[in-house]
Amino acid sequence: MVLVLALGDLHIPHRAPDLPEKFKSMLVPGKIQHIICTGNLCIKEVHDYLKTICPDLHITRGEYDEETRYPETKTLTIGQFKLGLCHGHQVIPWGDLDSLAMMQRQLDVDILVTGHTHQFTAYKHEGGVVINPGSATGAYSSITYDVNPSFVLMDIDGLRVVVYVYELIDGEVKVDKIDFKKTTTTAH
Amino acid sequence: MNYLLGAFKPSCNVSIAFSDGKTRKQVPLKKENGQTVLVPLFQSQENITGKITIDPLQGKKVDHNGVKIELLGQIEMYFDRGNFYDFTSLVRELDVPGEIYERKTYPFEFSTVEMPYETYNGVNVRLRYVLKVTISRGYAGSIVEYQDFVVRNYSPLPSINNGIKMEVGIEDCLHIEFEYNKSKYHLKDVIIGKIYFLLVRIKIKNMDLEIRRRESTGSGANTHVETETLAKYELMDGAPVRGESIPVRLFLSPYELTPTHRNINNKFSVKYYLNLVLVDEEDRRYFKQQEITIYRLQETT
Amino acid sequence: MLSVGIEDEEKWLAEGIAGIQHNAFYMHQAMDANSLREGLKYSAQMLSELRTSKLSPHRYYELYMRAFDELRMLEIFFKDESRHGVTVVDLYELVQHAGNILPRLYLLCTVGSVYMKSKEVPAKEVLKDLVEMCRGVQHPIRGLFLRHYLAQVSRDILLDINSEGEGDADTVMEAVEFVLQNFTEMNKLWVRIQLQGPARLREKQEKERSELRDLVGKNLHVLSQIEGVNLEMYKQTVLPRVLEQVVNCKDELAQYYLMECIIQVFPDEYHLQTLETLLGVCPQLQATVDIRMVLSQLMDRLSNYAVSNADVIPEFLHVEAFAKLSNAIGKVIEAQVDMPIVGAITLYVSLLTFTLRVHPDRLDYVDQILGACVKKLSSQPKIEDARATKQIVMLLSAPLEKYNGIVTALTLSNYPRVMDHLDNATNKVMAMVIIQSIMKNNSCISTADKVDVLFELIKGLIKDLEEASVDELDEEDFKEEQNSVARLLHMLHNDDPGEMLKIICTVKKHILCGGPNRLPFTVPPLIFSALNLIRQLQNQDGDVVGEEQHEVGDEAEEMHATPKKIFQILNQLIEALSSVPAPELALRLYLECAEAANDCDLEPVAYEFFTQAFIIYEEDIADSKAQVTAIHLIIGTLQRMNVFGVENRDTLTHKATGYSAKLLKKPDQCRAVYACSHLFWVDDPEGIKDGERVLLCLKRALRIANAAQQMANVTRGSSGPVTLFVEILNKYLYYFEKGNQQITNAAIQGLIELITTELQTDSPSANPAPAPDAFFTSTLRYIQFQKQKGGVMGERYDSINV
Repeated sequence: MVLVLALGDLHIPHRAPDLPEKFKSMLVPGKIQHIICTGNLCIKEVHDYLKTICPDLHITRGEYDEETRYPETKTLTIGQFKLGLCHGHQVIPWGDLDSLAMMQRQLDVDILVTGHTHQFTAYKHEGGVVINPGSATGAYSSITYDVNPSFVLMDIDGLRVVVYVYELIDGEVKVDKIDFKKTTTTAH
Repeated sequence: MNYLLGAFKPSCNVSIAFSDGKTRKQVPLKKENGQTVLVPLFQSQENITGKITIDPLQGKKVDHNGVKIELLGQIEMYFDRGNFYDFTSLVRELDVPGEIYERKTYPFEFSTVEMPYETYNGVNVRLRYVLKVTISRGYAGSIVEYQDFVVRNYSPLPSINNGIKMEVGIEDCLHIEFEYNKSKYHLKDVIIGKIYFLLVRIKIKNMDLEIRRRESTGSGANTHVETETLAKYELMDGAPVRGESIPVRLFLSPYELTPTHRNINNKFSVKYYLNLVLVDEEDRRYFKQQEITIYRLQETT
Repeated sequence: MLSVGIEDEEKWLAEGIAGIQHNAFYMHQAMDANSLREGLKYSAQMLSELRTSKLSPHRYYELYMRAFDELRMLEIFFKDESRHGVTVVDLYELVQHAGNILPRLYLLCTVGSVYMKSKEVPAKEVLKDLVEMCRGVQHPIRGLFLRHYLAQVSRDILLDINSEGEGDADTVMEAVEFVLQNFTEMNKLWVRIQLQGPARLREKQEKERSELRDLVGKNLHVLSQIEGVNLEMYKQTVLPRVLEQVVNCKDELAQYYLMECIIQVFPDEYHLQTLETLLGVCPQLQATVDIRMVLSQLMDRLSNYAVSNADVIPEFLHVEAFAKLSNAIGKVIEAQVDMPIVGAITLYVSLLTFTLRVHPDRLDYVDQILGACVKKLSSQPKIEDARATKQIVMLLSAPLEKYNGIVTALTLSNYPRVMDHLDNATNKVMAMVIIQSIMKNNSCISTADKVDVLFELIKGLIKDLEEASVDELDEEDFKEEQNSVARLLHMLHNDDPGEMLKIICTVKKHILCGGPNRLPFTVPPLIFSALNLIRQLQNQDGDVVGEEQHEVGDEAEEMHATPKKIFQILNQLIEALSSVPAPELALRLYLECAEAANDCDLEPVAYEFFTQAFIIYEEDIADSKAQVTAIHLIIGTLQRMNVFGVENRDTLTHKATGYSAKLLKKPDQCRAVYACSHLFWVDDPEGIKDGERVLLCLKRALRIANAAQQMANVTRGSSGPVTLFVEILNKYLYYFEKGNQQITNAAIQGLIELITTELQTDSPSANPAPAPDAFFTSTLRYIQFQKQKGGVMGERYDSINV
């Protein structure tokens, strides 16, 4: 069992002062094995903070990131799963599922994690799962109104991944769970 | 000595007994030979009465030219030992010349005897009172018997007894003021006082109070002075700072004091002094001596 | 003798102990034989060992303890008249015959203890006598221990005075008098230790002396334990007498220790009721005494008292504790002309701590303290002493901590005045503290006025102060500071749009003074703050455009919040970035604003923002990688715009596609161009659906892909990746599925074959790159999947063979 934290679009300090305190208290060091971050942190302090939660940190570049050396896309394999990571501003129309599915085929991954829209989504489709963890700070977005802070924890266990979505609604953390099972046929 | 005694053995026993001998207070007296004996205690103006008993030895008779008893007050200077100066001499004839064959008793009485001086045993002088019985004999030498007694004279509380207060000092070095509560102390008295330090620029180690006795004998060019320290009583340990006052409380009873004697018959004087001694860290001594008068207080019963 | 060897001292101590043991042996023998005379003789000899001057206080104490234990036995013997046959009264005289003072006084104290317990004489008389007689020992160490012995043997008697019921006021008074006198004498002796000996031994002496202080302090403990010492007596007698000694001894160490001791041993209530007396002493202490510590200990105690016992607060007010403390501190500072500024400030910090704990509701007190500080500080220029500035930071931080944030502090008129006296660096540190406090407490600053005050406080971070040289600052530090400011901006908020707009204008006014280095940090958060306000207005009123505009002056005063107004502000803000310059950031922000304007249905505004973005793109973004990102953002945003009429839209899409085709790298060109296809096909019911122009884009993309392929052939001798083709194929599939009639099965089929061919020609020469292979494979699998799905989509895919 591996815990992967997926988050992005924090936009600190442009659009939010910090992660919500409630999230911070949940994200304690030592529990999470990998962090994948879609980008728009935007500053080094946030990068350093994430490192304290888990040193295995994978980031792709958002358009506001101070650090320009983050890659545009990244793939990594965790257990039986191949994960793809991309901020998403490159995928037009933004947040369009079919276009994201195309990127998923291109990266040839089971799970594609993107951001940019600040809207939590998780789609299962024939080729796998597309996840957008939303904005961890609930940052303003020109695409999405009324953004709630959210992030995603993926519990990867064998061929199964359980996606937990944590969303902060009116000061309370709500958790949702989506199950996803990989069929062995989609071997690479 | 027995054979000598045998040779000059007196032919009788002479004894002197005081009439109140059983009840009269006895006090110790140190004799010339160093032995201490208990003798009766008198004071001036007392009647000294008693009887003399002459008891010839078995089968002997005592031929005499008369029997007398003397009460002598004597001063003996040790540089002239054996030479007594009698300042008081009273005599009572007890018998006319004759023979004594058997034990014979003579009562005697000295009424209201004036004994102005106290018995004193000093370093260079002594003052004693003695009863002397003489059986005069022409050829064989007189038979003489002595009986010592002690005289002590009591004084009432002095009507004037000012304290001693004095400021002394060494300029820019040490200034003290001392204060003793009285100038006249009786023998069982307590000296109460205080030493104030007004200026202290020396490192004092300690301070003692001494009682010194000064006995002077003779007169003029032959005056001889002997000083004894009878008490050495530590008053203070360490160095005081300016403004300190140190209490004095010295009980006189443990010390063998006598009353002060002033110019006894032009022969001697005994005076007492309080000597305050400060010793500094280099063992230099700073002292100030003050005379005090010691007297014998009439004991109230 | 330069210094005494430790070995020598050990030897002397051993000798002393042996002497005590030797004489104690005979003393015990005498006691067993009930011989008082012998007992006294040997006990005096035993005690003579204590007359030594050779031991350090530490070792002397060891010796003393030996003797002390023996004296306890002797006391038991003394107590039993039947054993020695001498009444205690006589015994009291008898022991005074001893010629040496130290043994004499030890014996006297011992008998005195028995005497008092016998009740044959009022204890007070004996106490009085003993404490007086002990004056005879003036040697500091011997005297201290002797008096300590006196204190020990009399302690039980003193503490019994009340409980045994004989404690008429007079007796208690005498007991107190006794302790006070013993205390005074002991302190005098203690103080004297340092006055002896050469300078080179001073340090050692100070240490030794310090070890003895508790002997002196013990007396104060006893005083605090005597039942009869009530507040009245404490006030009238005990405290004045103790303080008199404290002042008179003129010794730094003693004064400090004794003040500390007084504060610790007596009850809080007493302190409260005698504040004036206690504080009155402070200016009379030696200048070197750390009064700050003394006062802060006092204030600590009092504030603990108040905190643990809320009932006493009225009493604090009644005795005007604050005023008295404040006054005392003022006097101390006044009296000690040479006191460094840090000392004064530390005192104020202590007072402030006290106030915040005891009177948290009295902001006027807090302001008063700060005011006093300002007064002190204004006597000199900016502070340079690091410790002083640290204290000021503490002073200014304390209210923030207490009141959970700056909001309360902003009402303190003297707060900014204190900050004015800080040097620039510290001013910044303090500004950071303020910001951190706001962040930590999540405090919201909700009016423009407060925001104004706040910015005045943190101006060190907001702009370059006159003398400040920027280059001295570490870049990392600068970043951190500015990021903090950026974070802070999110805490300035009011739900009322009018006030919020005022806040935004106020912030704008301040941050625009920040200069090119700060703007990239401070502009974005304000932009998003403003965009949020626009959102809020949208939510409140669907038809924001119809709102009437008010004519107002150029500043925010009385301005009514409308999106238009806000967009003007936004425009000015982004424009300010041109001075930096920060074209990439500006472009992004223009696009964000454009989309917001779109949402507000303000076409001209949106067009203006786009225009600005394009100008920046054209003029200031030269880096090819930056161009690629910018193009994606332009296309992505433009794709979402629905406010534009045909003409404006055409202009903008034309420009965008033009830029796309001009990107440097062919693959970038290709991708941007096919992305542009989405500008002509918006997948919602009202969206534009211009199939032809979509196809034109895709074809153009194909041409570029071909060119890229050929270039690859020329330059590398092998065909380049087929990725671009596969990507375009996917775009074809996208529009095919969306029902774009221009995208035909044949075209798709042709593309599939083209790719297959490309792959085949490529594979023998070199290892087929796995990625395009996989991409193509998964694309084909997708087609397969769609075919199998059936329904309309399946049918549409039917004719495509894979």
